[in-house]
Amino acid sequence: MASLKASPLSLQSASSLSSLSQKSLLGSPLRIPTLAREPQKKSTAIAVSRTTKASLFSMKQAPKDSRPTKVQVMHVYEFNERDRRSPAYLRLSQKEVNSLGDLVPFTNKLYHGNLEKRIGITAGLCVLIQHVPERGGDRYEAAYSFYFGDYGHISVQGPYLTYEESYLAVTGGSGVFEGVYGKVKLQQIVYPFKIFYTFYLRGIPDIPRELLGAPVPPSPVVQPTPAAMAAEPQAAIRNYTK
Amino acid sequence: MASLSSSSVFLKIPTSKSNRFALTNPRSVPNHSLPKTPKLVSGTRRIPSRINASIFSAKQASTDPRPTKVQEMYVYEINERDRASPAYLRLSQKEVNSLGDLVPFTNKVYHGNLQKRLGITTGICVLIQHVEEKGGDRYEAIYSFYFGDYGHISVQGPYLTYEDSYLAVTGGSGVFEGVYGQVKLQQIIFPFKLFYTFYLKGIPDLPKELLGAPVPPSVSVEPIPAAKAAEPHAAVKNYTN
Repeated sequence: MASLKASPLSLQSASSLSSLSQKSLLGSPLRIPTLAREPQKKSTAIAVSRTTKASLFSMKQAPKDSRPTKVQVMHVYEFNERDRRSPAYLRLSQKEVNSLGDLVPFTNKLYHGNLEKRIGITAGLCVLIQHVPERGGDRYEAAYSFYFGDYGHISVQGPYLTYEESYLAVTGGSGVFEGVYGKVKLQQIVYPFKIFYTFYLRGIPDIPRELLGAPVPPSPVVQPTPAAMAAEPQAAIRNYTK
Repeated sequence: MASLSSSSVFLKIPTSKSNRFALTNPRSVPNHSLPKTPKLVSGTRRIPSRINASIFSAKQASTDPRPTKVQEMYVYEINERDRASPAYLRLSQKEVNSLGDLVPFTNKVYHGNLQKRLGITTGICVLIQHVEEKGGDRYEAIYSFYFGDYGHISVQGPYLTYEDSYLAVTGGSGVFEGVYGQVKLQQIIFPFKLFYTFYLKGIPDLPKELLGAPVPPSVSVEPIPAAKAAEPHAAVKNYTN
């Protein structure tokens, strides 16, 4: 992982920016919102609790219009192929040892669990919390998102421990993942270049088949297929996030 | 220490010229003192099981765990250049916007009809990459919208300076406690005016004061003077400032 030297970050003071403000005043033209990704209002205006008219049985499933609670499992691989200038280790603590104050923005590539399709990217921030000498690693608090091209994104937050696997919270999503909740298991395969994730997702309609399927079992030697790495059309999802 | 007020004129992102900030003292993290309401979401959920003999479907009540109907809410976020925001921290130390740059920010929030001041946004944009072919940047944004006494909504997701995006609504407090869904971000004037459409689920009916048809977004929209001045009738109670 690239790390800045421990010297103090001295950035020169800003020159006049009024010219810049003028330049960007007339920015992008008015955009009429497209309806391409309007969320489907599939739930009726008044959600109905199931009422049983004459049955002796109590409800086992969630009422039809409430948030689905069944778990859907999805697998992805995150690879750092060292071509995104990531991570950017900001040694703001100015200490030799990783210390509170260090921030690590990052972005890596995301592949289907079966390693045959490029899906998109991860993007976010790791906040170094503490170095854990007895485990030879660090604890981070991570807040980042997984981008799935036209399908949308999933946001997560939680612990990233360089020395063991962890579960992060799924905080939400957009597109097909709108309204999602649940957790995701993070397993490091080759620190810090290969990570395998198992999502346990609830609260959304059935995930598109293209994103599902048995994963290649994690091991140090796994690699995406060459076609996926090249993001050839048949080996990448539509408008995969770059 | 450079005066940041003159330099922080943008909503979120300035153009990628060299604007460097003296960083002699580490910036202390502002304490927002958010009331932390415990989330209701956990592994398993209690399912209401009701048996009654009525022919009519029971109306959605607050007894249901999480209402699923979508409520739409509109707000404008406007950078009036009076909050020393954003603070573009060019920590990558590169001329072009690059991974490593961080952009904390805070702007004013107005009702979609531009007649009331609601509060502020606060948070951080993490520069992910400069997207040369679109002439803009991709950020990962993590921030909150504050609505005075009503509470707040937290969001996380993509901020693209060159196109609309959808962010995840990750939670909220007050009247928004337990909220989920997504929000559409539309830039009107980069980077000063943004229009948001919230698609909110999981909460009881929003207070009427926050609802209503918005002024359609256009380059020239402005809050009414009373709202900008946050006069009592043109602002929500204890609007966040």
